Amino acid sequence: MIKCENLQKRVPMAGTELEILKGITLEIKSGESVAIIGASGSGKSTLLGLLAGLDEATAGSVAINGTDIGALDEDDRARFRGQHIGFVFQSFQLLPALTALENVMLPLELQGQNSVEEQARHYLQRVGLAARTGHYPLQLSGGEQQRVALARAFASKPAILFADEPTGNLDTTTGEHIIDLLFELNREEGTTLVLVTHDQALAERCQRRLRLDGGALVGE
Amino acid sequence: MTATKMLARDWRGGELGVLVMALVLAVGVVSGISAFTTRLQNALEQESHRFLAADLVVTGGRELPADWLLAAERSGLQQALTLQFPSMVYAGDDAMALASVKAVSDAYPLRGEMTYSQAPFGTVLAADTGPGRGEVWLDSRLFALLDVAVGDEVTIGEASFIAVAAARTEPDQGSSFYGYGPRVVMHYSDIPATGVVQPGSRVEYRQLYAGETAAVASFREWLDPRLQEGQRAVTVEEGQPGIGSALDRAESFLLLAGSLAVVLAGVAVALAARRFSERHHDYVAIIKSLGATSGAVNRLYGSSLLLLGAIATLLGCLVGWGIQALFFSLFAEQLPVQPGPSGIRPYAIGAVTSLTCLFCFAWPPLRRLGHASPLRVLRRDLPMENRRAFFDYVLGLLAVTLLMWWYSQDWKLTLAVLAGLGLTVGLGFCLALTLLRGGRLVGMSAGSIWRLALAGLQRRGNANALQVVIFAMAIMMLLVLLLVRTSLIDEWQAQLPEDAPNHFMINIGPENVQAIEQLLRVEDITSEPFYPMIRGRIMSVKGEELPSTDDVQEGRRQREINFTWSDTLPNENRLLAGEWWAPGSDEPLVSLEEEFAERMGLEVGDEVGFLVGSQPLEARVASIRQLQWQSMRPNFFLVFPPRLLADFPATFMTSFHLDEADKGFLNRFIRSFPTVTVIEMDVVVEQIRTIIYQVSAAINLVLVVILAAGGLVLVAGVQASVDARVHESAILRALGAQRRLILGGLLIEFATLGLFAGLLATMAAEVSVFILQTLVMEMDYSPTPWLWPVGVFSGALVIGALGVFSCLRVVSTPPVRVLREL
Repeated sequence: MIKCENLQKRVPMAGTELEILKGITLEIKSGESVAIIGASGSGKSTLLGLLAGLDEATAGSVAINGTDIGALDEDDRARFRGQHIGFVFQSFQLLPALTALENVMLPLELQGQNSVEEQARHYLQRVGLAARTGHYPLQLSGGEQQRVALARAFASKPAILFADEPTGNLDTTTGEHIIDLLFELNREEGTTLVLVTHDQALAERCQRRLRLDGGALVGE
Repeated sequence: MTATKMLARDWRGGELGVLVMALVLAVGVVSGISAFTTRLQNALEQESHRFLAADLVVTGGRELPADWLLAAERSGLQQALTLQFPSMVYAGDDAMALASVKAVSDAYPLRGEMTYSQAPFGTVLAADTGPGRGEVWLDSRLFALLDVAVGDEVTIGEASFIAVAAARTEPDQGSSFYGYGPRVVMHYSDIPATGVVQPGSRVEYRQLYAGETAAVASFREWLDPRLQEGQRAVTVEEGQPGIGSALDRAESFLLLAGSLAVVLAGVAVALAARRFSERHHDYVAIIKSLGATSGAVNRLYGSSLLLLGAIATLLGCLVGWGIQALFFSLFAEQLPVQPGPSGIRPYAIGAVTSLTCLFCFAWPPLRRLGHASPLRVLRRDLPMENRRAFFDYVLGLLAVTLLMWWYSQDWKLTLAVLAGLGLTVGLGFCLALTLLRGGRLVGMSAGSIWRLALAGLQRRGNANALQVVIFAMAIMMLLVLLLVRTSLIDEWQAQLPEDAPNHFMINIGPENVQAIEQLLRVEDITSEPFYPMIRGRIMSVKGEELPSTDDVQEGRRQREINFTWSDTLPNENRLLAGEWWAPGSDEPLVSLEEEFAERMGLEVGDEVGFLVGSQPLEARVASIRQLQWQSMRPNFFLVFPPRLLADFPATFMTSFHLDEADKGFLNRFIRSFPTVTVIEMDVVVEQIRTIIYQVSAAINLVLVVILAAGGLVLVAGVQASVDARVHESAILRALGAQRRLILGGLLIEFATLGLFAGLLATMAAEVSVFILQTLVMEMDYSPTPWLWPVGVFSGALVIGALGVFSCLRVVSTPPVRVLREL
């Protein structure tokens, strides 16, 4: 499903180069759930960005379902993301000018699908927000916003879902509800799940855990 | 997702407000000013045509071809005829006087009106036509000279007429009064009966035409090749250089104002688009992470922009229409003529401005959105996409230049503004970066408000430099406009102060000079000095005899001319070349008026030959002078040292100011000094003053509109940096900072930016104004020391206040809400 080899990321900083990822090689199978854990600054988010095709690696390769996404240009990567990848972010990343329903419809519209509203409503109902479709993000609580984000992520039926600290901005109880919902949906949809987290409890629920330290993979 | 949907959503989100407002204002101001100036120019032109009594006048010493009148009739032009000639007028048994007779047809005047009074020097009344057949109007003083009253009979040549009224003014009487006597107005068809106009008589025939501007212009084109020697076609610009140049300058000013509006609008749009783009960076990152390609993003924003542009253009044209309608409603009553329609051009200019603003100012920052990195969804600290920013600035500059040139059709004006802008931008970045760095060093040891403010300035060094430049550009343009306006209006008012002379006295015998001086003193009337007037003929230039033909109106020929003498340089005269002679000099010298010298091809040191009476006189050009022809003071082409002309017979002239209420003085004066000719110019002076007043009012109104546009740029400029500042302030607030510390810090920060911007703007404004006044308006440049404190401190004050005001919500809203909204 996801295969990355000798993945490196270096960025220029104050005259020298900062090495963020020092050659990561890993493989994630279809339907698997994997947690990437590590201390702040260990390179977790950078790795996630590269695996999801949001960023370009300095060296090495990432292949998803056999497609080398490093070889694609940004537009092709965007199309690829639209077709195969879903996201859940720590800061929700809902568009403030759109209602909950419109936010969920957005990726479907971008895929050029028809009758997207029905589908979007279905997923909002699935996360328990059927009554709040017309609300704007600012009118929703953090937990509700993350549920909209979940609905948005699953509505486009992605093969892989990337989640970046999905509970990082939520209190424990709300966080647990979100995690339950995330794994439930994941099971129903048969999605491959890759998440980055500090949250040990969350990491424990994944089938596999990858630990990063100083930009290198130090164990499973 | 369609563009309409996105626009609707963004509108709900309040993101589009500033951009739409900037665009609407750009189109509104540009089309409004353009429509206003077009209509005002029409009105003023019509007004100034009153000075010609027509739109086009053809003059000639012999009867002009009648088929011209037919051709004009076919072009749909109105026509009138006049004929002027000197003639003796007789009354009773032995009374007679030399008069300047003007015969006018029924249609005269085509523009403006004649005035008369029922009694000599009586209440002035307006008339659409001159006297009827068999009737004449006599100059007020002719009643005294001929000892007749209204209703009495006078004789001109072989015909008798009834004097039915006193002639007061004609719109085209101008100032060509030398050598003519008092006015008699009669009907054109009575000329043959008098028998005084014979071939070879000294007469001036005139054909007057008026009609639609285009029809007049095409008739003029048809006419020009048909004009023969001694025939001349004149329009208002050629006929009244004084009014013409006032109008030209007013037009330059209004075009300058419009051009500045274009630039200001462009800057406001660019700023608003930039902010819009910055606020949409995250938005684009999200939809790109969800699969949108950069092409899709570009299409989305491109079509949104077009849609937005269309709506804003329509709204802007409405606003523009409103602006000009408001202007005219404000001072329609003062306008002597109905302003004509503006046509479609102003709105087309508005639409093109809008398109250009969209493409060159709004699109570049939005286009960059397409390249925004989707990684921002994970890392908001990623720098925003900023490639090709330099190219965008060049594009913007090019667009501004072309727009200004297209709008003003005047490359000198465009150059003057660009020079100022260039100086602002170039110096701005260097100065701003250096000064802001210097500010940090000073600030480090200051109290905590200062440290906070100056650290903020330093941290955003580049952004602040850009902001200083933008503020400076806006302030510079406002200062330029203010300066040019002030110097224009000052100059006009200085030319014609309230107590400007409005009456002339000529033909004063030397024996009467003292008595008249005394009479004026007793009556408490201030007059100009008495200038001697000697009539002579210019015969040769640089030893070369001039042709004597009378048919050549312009250029080098022998001509009758009035001289004067003076030991000192006359009032309001300015030496351009050479030196004024020492008092008491008897050297054969002469001082020439600038244009006269140019026409005759004379320079300082050249020899000129004259014939005065029957005596030849050789003189060397000692100096060349510039005159104020509009000053209504005695002005002379040639001035000699007194002792050189002492032996020649002379009469004297002067000019003085008389209020309407004191006109009765003239009746008493004429009885005491019947040989002196008094010329009333008060109506003409009043006409000129009215025009100048109207133009000044228009200019002030335009200044107000541009001030508003400049204000919008300043607001947009402040807005551009408010997000970051509000964010920081909210954090400080959360940490417990007092209202005073935050607002004080912001005030210092913005005021410092304003101070630098004001300094830059003042420097650039001086350069711009120098180029404008010397190259475009042909005025004298003088430095304006008051500009420096005004520019610098008003910059600090206005921007400081705007900045604090824009950030006010940070101290009135709980910090959590502020942080969440951002």
